[in-house]
Amino acid sequence: MHISEGILSAPVLVAGASLTATAVGYGLKKMAYKQMPKVAILSSVFFVASLIHVPIGPSSVHLILNGIIGLLLGWAAFPAILVALAFQAILFQFGGPTTLGVNTFTMAFPAIICFYLFNRGIKGKNNFFALTLAFICGFLSVLLSGIMVATALVFTGELFMQVAKLILIAHLPVMILEGVLTVFCVGFLRKVRPEILDLDA
Amino acid sequence: MKGRLYLILIFLFLIIIVINIPIFAHKVNIFTYVEGNKVYTENYFSDGTKCVSSKMEIFDNQGNKWLEGLTDQEGNFSFEIPQEEGDLKIVLTASMGHRAECIIRADELRNTTGLVQENLKEPTSKESTESILVYKMGEENKVVSPEISSQNLKEVQLLIENILDEKLTPVMREIKKSQEDKISPTEIIGGIGYIFGIFGIIAYFLNRKK
Repeated sequence: MHISEGILSAPVLVAGASLTATAVGYGLKKMAYKQMPKVAILSSVFFVASLIHVPIGPSSVHLILNGIIGLLLGWAAFPAILVALAFQAILFQFGGPTTLGVNTFTMAFPAIICFYLFNRGIKGKNNFFALTLAFICGFLSVLLSGIMVATALVFTGELFMQVAKLILIAHLPVMILEGVLTVFCVGFLRKVRPEILDLDA
Repeated sequence: MKGRLYLILIFLFLIIIVINIPIFAHKVNIFTYVEGNKVYTENYFSDGTKCVSSKMEIFDNQGNKWLEGLTDQEGNFSFEIPQEEGDLKIVLTASMGHRAECIIRADELRNTTGLVQENLKEPTSKESTESILVYKMGEENKVVSPEISSQNLKEVQLLIENILDEKLTPVMREIKKSQEDKISPTEIIGGIGYIFGIFGIIAYFLNRKK
């Protein structure tokens, strides 16, 4: 879901970059010193996840994992995803330096939304309910990212419904897979270290 | 206990890396070659998926759009070399915000067509054709009339072209393969190292503030 260099117009790039800059600043301010290793690890997880291709479906897609990252990091997801995307751009030419802002926002903003929607729920007493929410979280984060990419591409003259449909169909297997992965992660953490899920954004 | 969990996590995603060693970048690539008076391009995502019916645009060196078209079912696109001199820029726009650019230098375009075309289209003077033939067939010491010789030349050229095409196909394939930038494990592990380093630096400065 990385948007390449030279596709988006300047206003979209500037808007994306400034939104990301603000959110990253806020994320760094919110980030507790204690959280640091967790942020670093999840940033590397994001960095590696994009290299894992899901060979199902009509197009070339890969894991994103922004749902679980948002769930575990809250606002710190912004700096984490920014750093990971920067290195993907430098080392693998996914996206690029000018689209870094837009790409960070399209992936990190859904992570924050998921954090606010599900962070309470997945800590609840009822195991089944919590895991169901975890699945929806993983599914929804990719869905929202797809919608945001489609929105960014609208300004290049592509039709929103057409692009959105294409992206969503291509990413349907990823959505389901990420839902399942999020269930495993949350299930594991609930059992082993429930305090890792405790975050006040 | 906390340290152990992090170790487990690191270990887990190292395993993921190892399992997925043949990893490909997520971007689109253009592979071009010039043959005769046509430019051929093959377009594919870096995991090998063909870019089917993606938009191709060809720009001349002034940046004017010269041609636009769609790739076929195999992800291929070919076009004839334009008359004007100058570099060509090929831009591929695939679905979902993927884009790649590739420049074909002018001398690359002319090298393959130039010589052959000149010989064929502008009939060379009798002397020069004869001298070529005499040079080629010197050992037999045959005297060939210019008419036959130019026809022969054409045939020989065609033959050479065909043989060369045939012989070069595997080489082309090798070149194409080496152009696909596969991501090496070194880069991945290096990237992870960089990320930890950066957060280490951030942690250092946060710590100093306290």
